[in-house]
Amino acid sequence: MITLRDLTFSYLKPDGTPVTETPQLNRVNLEVAEGEFVLVCGPTGSGKSTLLKTLNGLAPRFTGGLLSGEVILDGKDLTGKEPHDFAHLVGFVNQQPEGFFVTDTVIDEIVYGAEQLGMPVAEIDDRIKPIIEILNIGDLLYRPLATLSGGQQQRVAIAAALVAGQKILLLDEPTSALDFAGATEVLSSLKKLAHESGVTILLAEHRISRVIAEVDSVLVVHGDGSVTKGDPATQFNDARFAPPIIQLGAMLGWKPLSISTEDAAARWAKQSPDFQEKKLHEPGKKILEIDSLKVTFGNVAAVSATNLDLYANQVTAIMGENGSGKTSLCWAIQGLGERSAGTVLLDGQDTAELARDARLDLVAMIPQRAADLLFLHSLADELKESDTFAQVEPGTTANLFAQLAGRIDTSIHPRDLSAGQQLALVLAIQLAKQAKVLILDEPTRGLDYAAKRALAKQLQLLRSPERTIVLASHDVEFVAEVADRVIKLQAGQIVADQSPIEALGWKSQLPSQLAQISRADGLVSIEQVLA
Amino acid sequence: MALAITASLSATPLVLFAIGAVSMLLVLAFRDESAWSRSVSFYLKLAAAVVAIRVLFRIIFNLESSPANPLLVLPEINLTLAEGVSLKLFGSISALSFQSALTDGLRLAAIILAVGMANSLANPMKLLKSTPGALYEIATAISIAINLAPQLIASLNRVRRVRGLRGQSKGIRALPGLVIPVLEDTIDQSMSLAASMSARGFGRKGQRSKMALKITRFTGLAAITMIAVGVFLLLITPTTQVLDLSIAIAGLAFAVVYIKMSALGSLRTKYRKQAFQSGDYCLFALTAALLVSAFTGVLQF
Amino acid sequence: MKNLVSRLSVTIAGVASLLMFSWPLFIASSSVSEATTAQTVFIVLMPLTLLLVLLEFATGEISSRQLALLGVLIALNAVIRLLGAGTAGIETAFFLVILAAYVFGSGFGFILGASSIFVSALLTGGIGPWLPFQMMGVGLVGLGAGTIPHSSNKNLSKLYLVLYSIISSFFYGSLMTLWNWPYLAGTGTSISYVAGDPILDNLVRFFQYELVTGGFFWDIGRAVTTSVLVLLTGTALIATLNRAAIRAGVIRRG
Repeated sequence: MITLRDLTFSYLKPDGTPVTETPQLNRVNLEVAEGEFVLVCGPTGSGKSTLLKTLNGLAPRFTGGLLSGEVILDGKDLTGKEPHDFAHLVGFVNQQPEGFFVTDTVIDEIVYGAEQLGMPVAEIDDRIKPIIEILNIGDLLYRPLATLSGGQQQRVAIAAALVAGQKILLLDEPTSALDFAGATEVLSSLKKLAHESGVTILLAEHRISRVIAEVDSVLVVHGDGSVTKGDPATQFNDARFAPPIIQLGAMLGWKPLSISTEDAAARWAKQSPDFQEKKLHEPGKKILEIDSLKVTFGNVAAVSATNLDLYANQVTAIMGENGSGKTSLCWAIQGLGERSAGTVLLDGQDTAELARDARLDLVAMIPQRAADLLFLHSLADELKESDTFAQVEPGTTANLFAQLAGRIDTSIHPRDLSAGQQLALVLAIQLAKQAKVLILDEPTRGLDYAAKRALAKQLQLLRSPERTIVLASHDVEFVAEVADRVIKLQAGQIVADQSPIEALGWKSQLPSQLAQISRADGLVSIEQVLA
Repeated sequence: MALAITASLSATPLVLFAIGAVSMLLVLAFRDESAWSRSVSFYLKLAAAVVAIRVLFRIIFNLESSPANPLLVLPEINLTLAEGVSLKLFGSISALSFQSALTDGLRLAAIILAVGMANSLANPMKLLKSTPGALYEIATAISIAINLAPQLIASLNRVRRVRGLRGQSKGIRALPGLVIPVLEDTIDQSMSLAASMSARGFGRKGQRSKMALKITRFTGLAAITMIAVGVFLLLITPTTQVLDLSIAIAGLAFAVVYIKMSALGSLRTKYRKQAFQSGDYCLFALTAALLVSAFTGVLQF
Repeated sequence: MKNLVSRLSVTIAGVASLLMFSWPLFIASSSVSEATTAQTVFIVLMPLTLLLVLLEFATGEISSRQLALLGVLIALNAVIRLLGAGTAGIETAFFLVILAAYVFGSGFGFILGASSIFVSALLTGGIGPWLPFQMMGVGLVGLGAGTIPHSSNKNLSKLYLVLYSIISSFFYGSLMTLWNWPYLAGTGTSISYVAGDPILDNLVRFFQYELVTGGFFWDIGRAVTTSVLVLLTGTALIATLNRAAIRAGVIRRG
């Protein structure tokens, strides 16, 4: 169905020279059979997305850049054609459905592609039925798109991509903007689609552990321009972007690697590898004292009467489902957020009563979308603005940023940094004044495993006897790796205040993947395993 | 239609009142609970304001000099704005002058109410979906905008809130910090939206030659020019001339041809035709009738 | 050739639209009934002309990227307009139209201006006979902004932009007053337009009307807010829009 011959793709600078020495994709040769379900993985920035976009003309037409080689789809050479010339054959689904919708109701959105291709109404009618059945969106047809949940929206987007009878479906990280339930919904629809429809599916996804057991093959984009494809169990020599289960297999020398939790658990039980006790940091001095804090919006209590002390040298994770009050609690601690009652004392002073600048010096918060804080044209400008505002030695922010993210060309536009780099930049800006409190609201959203690992290291670096770190997250694996203390929040109430070993252990209600595999007391995260 | 006929027979303020009242009754009878319907009170207030302004203007900027039977006698004020340019305020006003101001005002109010009625009963969004092929591009841009607006308001609020977390300039100088992140987000979004449209076949028109395109554009220009010139000539010559009128009419004809031509060469189909239902047609006819009666009513006067 | 066509359409569209506003100054007949007919004719002709001009700029190969960019800018401007609405003399709908037209050209500016007024009216439900006139007015502001000369000297460019902001604010104000003047003042007051009078006499009465109704002061408010917004956000917005222009493959100007 898909044949790539010597496909080479490089991004170009405005002056026409390639951005990097080696092309993003270098002499890629690839065959995908009809009806194959392929998982595409690789670290962020490796070119997963670019590879998908060469298969429907968006690269180079929309991305810019230079393409050579041949793209042959369904026996036709489509190299160099416009995206709309691929439209009858290839459906495309993007990360964020809401930004991708052209119309406002489900039915209009689904038929949009078929209309553009000039398909007669009777034919559209015939094609719609089986697709809405597989994706289970029959009840939603006349609803406005804006009222759907993320998972429902993504299922509509998939239907819209296939309604004109496309034979190939490309999905570029379709679950990265969804919560757990939404992602599960979308991935199970995809499984059904793969089994029942005969459509060829290429899925770029970083929640690898959820789908890996279902796919026919795995395609790895290595980041050096090369691409390999093969059986799922043989494809993960490079563990940088792999989920814990793959990493574990690699560490313990499993061949072939386990891709399902059950399989891994059986192997673990046979081998029973050694592991060390989790290193938890002792609490330092008390930094924050939260006393009967309440946040109410209208009649709804987002946070109800909370008492909590936070200590230096520790990372405290606040966990809970969407809507459990994590974000409200973060904002209330920072001092800017709404509060209906209670105090948050920092060195005897309430954060809500601090002057604006003093608060910024003492409390650093990273919002859910870190990029919202960036507004200048270049990295250099952002770093300079931060030094000026914080009234610190010029270069302070730049040094901190270099520690966190390494050296990066400072003429780059902040929006062109990767999500992980943007986060590091905002961390550096917010901490230029050595704040005593660091609050991160869902920092791992949209980060792949490699970027999460980088963030975990950065948090180790930022830990200090003068600072307490608060982390709101529902990312179990990440919390298992970095937290010293876990607070569970349910409907605005603290229901547990435990060490991560208790909170995420195999007997808990929220076990980490490693805990599920090992069923061992005291084991929650991968760096504890000795190999 | 009965309304239109009666209205054109006489032009007393009473008839105009009746037109307005019928409009409002219709709205009250047929409206649903959508946001559109709630704008009725806005049109009512506006209509009242228009009548009041007309009458007030007539009283304040009075042109009559000592009419025979003054209805209202006010002291006269003369303002000299510049050498030789003076402005007369207030003074005595006749019943006739007063009545004409009132009728004029009522006529406008009736027009506003009729338009308001149409607006309250027919959702303009629906109209947008049934635009002719020629306007497809603009209608697409506008419906993208309408879908995006609520999201934009949300992201403006989000960025506004988050901004307090980073130290930066205060007051109005902080504006770039608000607008730039939103705009950058918006542009990113527009690019992925465009990618989505293209990847789904947007722009796959039937082949139309460059020449055909050029001819279409020139037809459009000709239409605009002729309408403008024709109407202009009609205005500056005191009596209606056949030539002027024919230019204007030819312009209108060109406009129709142009709109038809622009729609050519697209291979799109429409799955859900937003067919006008009989109710919509009735509404349309009624609005037209009300407008015509409001206009003609005054012409006879 | 392409340039000639687009310049021609910008000129013709501009002149024709202006005429739709300024007819009270030119009307020759002195009979009241004919003047009233003229009012009726123009209230119908305005939407038609608007439609034709919009079509003129939209015909041709608009790519999906330009269209999507147009869509989001329309939405942004409509929302920004709502933010500023309600405060006397504050007009926030202009600066983005001016800056975007400066970067993307006259046709883009016209569509952006006219459509964003339309969308903000849709959002608030404020649709009425005045809408086509407002759309045309802001469209013309965008049309003109596309012709502002570009200069390599940053300060000179800023000066041009601010000058244009001021001029266009007053220009828009007088267009709006021009269209509602015959309607609101009616006939037979000392500041009404008199059909058939020489242009100058009508102009004098027009300015009296402007002053008396306070329209003039609104214009000052509009000019000040637009200039301040252009000065504050100009550099940053133009940089961002230029980046977008490259990504959208929009050919600059024309």
